[in-house]
Amino acid sequence: MSPWSRNMNLRAGALLTLFFLITALLAYFWTPYDPRALSIIEKLQPPNPHHWFGTDQLGRDVLSLIMVGAQTSVGVASLSVIIGMCVGVPLGLLAAARRGAIDELLMRGNDVIFAFPALLMAILITAALGPGAVNAIVAIGIFNIPVFARVTRAGALPLWTRDYALAARVAGKGPMRISSEHILPNLLGVLAVQGTIQFSLGVIAEAGLAYVGLSAQPPTPSWGRMLNEAQTLTALAPSLAFFPGCAVLLFVLGLNLLGEGLRRGAERPT
Amino acid sequence: MNLKLDIAPSRLVLAVMLLCAGLLQPMVPSASAASRAIIGTQIEPPVLDPTANPAAAISEVLYDNVYEGLVQFAADGGVLPKLALAWEVSQDGLTYDFHLKGEVRFHDGTLFDAAAAKFSLDRIIAQGSLNPQRLRFRAVRAVLALDPLTLRVLLKQRSGGMLQSLAFGSAVMVSPRSAAGNALHPIGTGPFRFLRCRRGDSITLERNPDFQGVPAMLEQVTFKFITDPTAAFAALMAGDVDAYANYPSPESFAQFAADSRFSVFTGTTEMETVLGLNERNGPLRNVLVRRAISYALDRRAIIDGAMFGYGTPIGSHFPPHNLAYIDLTGVYPHDVTKAKQLLAAAGFPDGFGLSLKLPPFSYARRGGEIVAAQLAEVGIRVRIENLEWAQWLDQVYTQHDFDMSIVGHAEPLDYDIYARDDYYFGYADPDFKALIAALDDSVEPDKRIELLHQIQRKLAADAVNGFLFQYPRLDIWNVHLQGIEFNNVLGVVNVSRAHFEGAARAGGALSGRSAEFGAPASRWNSFRVTGLGVLAGSLVLLGLVARRFGSAYVAQRMAVLVATLVVATAIVFTMVQIVPGDPARYMLGLQADAGTVAALRQQLGLDAAPLHRYISWIQGLLHADFGLSYTYRVPVEALVAERLQVSVPLAVYSLLLSAAIAFPLGLIGAAWRGRAGDVIVGGITQLGLAVPNFWLGMLLVLLFAIQLHWVSAGGFPGWDAGFWPALKALTLPAIALAAPQAAILARVLRGALIDTLHEDYIRTARAKGAGARRLLWRHALPNALVPVLTIVGMQFSFLLAGGVIIENVFFLPGLGRLVFQAIVQRDLIVVQSVVVILVAAVVTVSFLVDLGYALINPQLHRARGA
Repeated sequence: MSPWSRNMNLRAGALLTLFFLITALLAYFWTPYDPRALSIIEKLQPPNPHHWFGTDQLGRDVLSLIMVGAQTSVGVASLSVIIGMCVGVPLGLLAAARRGAIDELLMRGNDVIFAFPALLMAILITAALGPGAVNAIVAIGIFNIPVFARVTRAGALPLWTRDYALAARVAGKGPMRISSEHILPNLLGVLAVQGTIQFSLGVIAEAGLAYVGLSAQPPTPSWGRMLNEAQTLTALAPSLAFFPGCAVLLFVLGLNLLGEGLRRGAERPT
Repeated sequence: MNLKLDIAPSRLVLAVMLLCAGLLQPMVPSASAASRAIIGTQIEPPVLDPTANPAAAISEVLYDNVYEGLVQFAADGGVLPKLALAWEVSQDGLTYDFHLKGEVRFHDGTLFDAAAAKFSLDRIIAQGSLNPQRLRFRAVRAVLALDPLTLRVLLKQRSGGMLQSLAFGSAVMVSPRSAAGNALHPIGTGPFRFLRCRRGDSITLERNPDFQGVPAMLEQVTFKFITDPTAAFAALMAGDVDAYANYPSPESFAQFAADSRFSVFTGTTEMETVLGLNERNGPLRNVLVRRAISYALDRRAIIDGAMFGYGTPIGSHFPPHNLAYIDLTGVYPHDVTKAKQLLAAAGFPDGFGLSLKLPPFSYARRGGEIVAAQLAEVGIRVRIENLEWAQWLDQVYTQHDFDMSIVGHAEPLDYDIYARDDYYFGYADPDFKALIAALDDSVEPDKRIELLHQIQRKLAADAVNGFLFQYPRLDIWNVHLQGIEFNNVLGVVNVSRAHFEGAARAGGALSGRSAEFGAPASRWNSFRVTGLGVLAGSLVLLGLVARRFGSAYVAQRMAVLVATLVVATAIVFTMVQIVPGDPARYMLGLQADAGTVAALRQQLGLDAAPLHRYISWIQGLLHADFGLSYTYRVPVEALVAERLQVSVPLAVYSLLLSAAIAFPLGLIGAAWRGRAGDVIVGGITQLGLAVPNFWLGMLLVLLFAIQLHWVSAGGFPGWDAGFWPALKALTLPAIALAAPQAAILARVLRGALIDTLHEDYIRTARAKGAGARRLLWRHALPNALVPVLTIVGMQFSFLLAGGVIIENVFFLPGLGRLVFQAIVQRDLIVVQSVVVILVAAVVTVSFLVDLGYALINPQLHRARGA
């Protein structure tokens, strides 16, 4: 891909991502209407000058709901990435530093988690812990752990053969100290890329869990649940199914473009 | 050439899989179209025996059609003769003599007589009986067969509701010879007999030629279970079903009412929808607070908002169609000021906070948000919590851990719940108990009606619950289909007089032939044959690898595989134990008493210690015995085999589609690298990656099913309906599943092609003067296929179970939905066994793929491992 389009990817991705992050932030202070105010007589309005995205089955303003829904999306996806990183990265560093039996055990453990049908397990986890945003975060976060562990290990292994790692070892530094002082800083680029990718997968996963009713609970708005509620109304009010889906699509698109742009940036020979 | 190479094996795989799944069954001519009807309903009966399971869906489909009782409900809640033509009650009300209809035979040929009736009633009152209505018969002392046509029921004490109790689905007459098998193959005395059941899809009945009475007019009736309201809408519009009973979606009902192709029925059901209040503690103990809540509720707005105007406001716990009904909606008109005054008088001038726990029904979820807003107006702050049904049963119903809830009480004549001490809202007022006792003790109709009036008034005066509305009965049918009787008391759809008039029926998609329940053995075999095939192939592969790399290598890899599986079983089992909610309570529903639940737990083996259950489960697994489904009462492997008939073809179909999209895109991207074509491909694949597949599915349904009527919005007719109809039903879901997969595949292919084009040998070939096209097709593509095939393998395992949300959108009876439903229904044995099967499949496939790679290309294997 030409430098031009690479740049475009990065810029478009960053812009879209930023747009949704700002929307989520803005929704804490201002929305066009109170997203929780019901008005049964105004229900199921098509998009119009007062309600740009129309109203839902209980007469709430869809634009306001989507703005607040962005908070749920960002919150669940980012926290599940943080869980994955906080557990996965140390595990990956440990595996790379110690090799041998620990490495084998951790990687086989990863294989076991990978072998589980992720979505079904997330559904099972939320069934066990009860539906709600926090448990959606846990369910998605658990499946982020092996991803980060693998990426970290794969990135760390070659670094251990680098001169600075050898020098540090000769200087008598322990493996954990070398990991945190020399290995980890060199992995930040890779982790940022993977973090963005997992963030975007998290947004889709949250929407899916919310769609089957297992993420944030009402009245907290959530894009996936809006889609679920819109489904029986598609014949009456197609716009209800359209806008939340577009929100998911554009946000994920933005994150993917950003991730790709970052990856290409990181790969560029220095 | 290489493209062909890729597709041909996939086709082979499809053919083999279809063959293995036992789909190529002999075709048998079916009943002529005009004498067959397809009726949609929302909920599938879990088993087919109403005497063993409280699910209303069993009676909905089978009562009056297959099973008959001694008496039946009239529309106003009274009783009419059925198999008992007449009866006498003694002066003291303790002896009931029933005179039975003669020459009636069960579908298994057994004669129905007083002995069979005695057998049926004795089963209900027997020690350890799991009959859901056992409590209604606690007054029965003995049942006697006086002569072949006279049955005597002796009571310990008077029981005013005895005749009504006999009209329930759980009191139907069953044949002594076949009663034990009714869960899978129902045998009754009705005008239809059971033909077949396709789990997750439909039940088909055929006319009973030996029926004693006016024979049924239709030759065959199929009840098709369409849970999703959108799919129900589309199925009616497309003519896939001739009628839909208990239509679940009030929002689109008006559209049918206005359509001349359809007739509609709106009535009331026995379901009182109430805002249940936990009277045990806190402010809700105070009657003033409860009255304030009743004043705060605007029933009209709730019915308009949650039910789109359908539903009848009620002021007490009693159905408006009953002859003893009195209208008490005027006791608490919507009055915010009054509500605030009462709250202030009760000591809460500034309001307070309450939880509102909602079960997963749309009336409850929608109604809950409206109720919360209405209560907020009078100062009550509501915290909504949505629960799934098993959780609701656990938290609200069993543990009473709630302040408020919205739920419909569907049971007929269920006002006695207010007299129960341990019932979830905890009312149990002594005066009310006395009223119920008096009602039980009175047989005279006038006195009973007067008592029923007092009962209604008492419940309204105490504002026990927020009485919202009587749930509407909505039915829709094709104008040509006449004579269906919708009985609102039990929700029964009686099709004995149904027939087509004028033009022939619209649909015809369903023409199932194979006897699913009749031949479980064949499915079993196909499942085993598939398993054996995989096993044999794996052994050959292992042998080859062992010859090449030595048996120690193979043994080590096998040990890792086994260890992984053991860890997986432990993880799954532990997780399933944490899931709250009791399978037995879920199966028995709201009416069952603690004793019945305990008996069922014992029967299911749930009372054993967890470790013991784990060990016996593992022992079963080792013998390929995956356990017996709690819900369906059939072996898990049989359920899996059935679902694989949908999941495997769907996965293969979407993989083929995905490959068909991905290959051209990937090739274009690589061939025009960095130019316009590549940028466009990049854009398309980015969109494909970002689109949530269930949303794409919804949009496809909206366009192709609802707007264009090209395909039905969901459901699966079964492979025996013909290859093309089945394939058509899988097309939209396959597209929705394929889109993101195709995007991934295209990107991988493009990347792999570009990488290989940089390899030395390609440069050599280029230096030798090979053209760009030849380079791409002859040299780059075959090598780029390796990573692509790895991705395809991974995607297949993902698609097998990962289609769960898509299967929900399209209402397909696939493997993902089996697990999803099993989680919801707490059919834990199905959850743990299927998840282990899936894990084993993934692990085994990746193990075999690894070995295969090692065999084909040891260097590549080492390179990949690094």
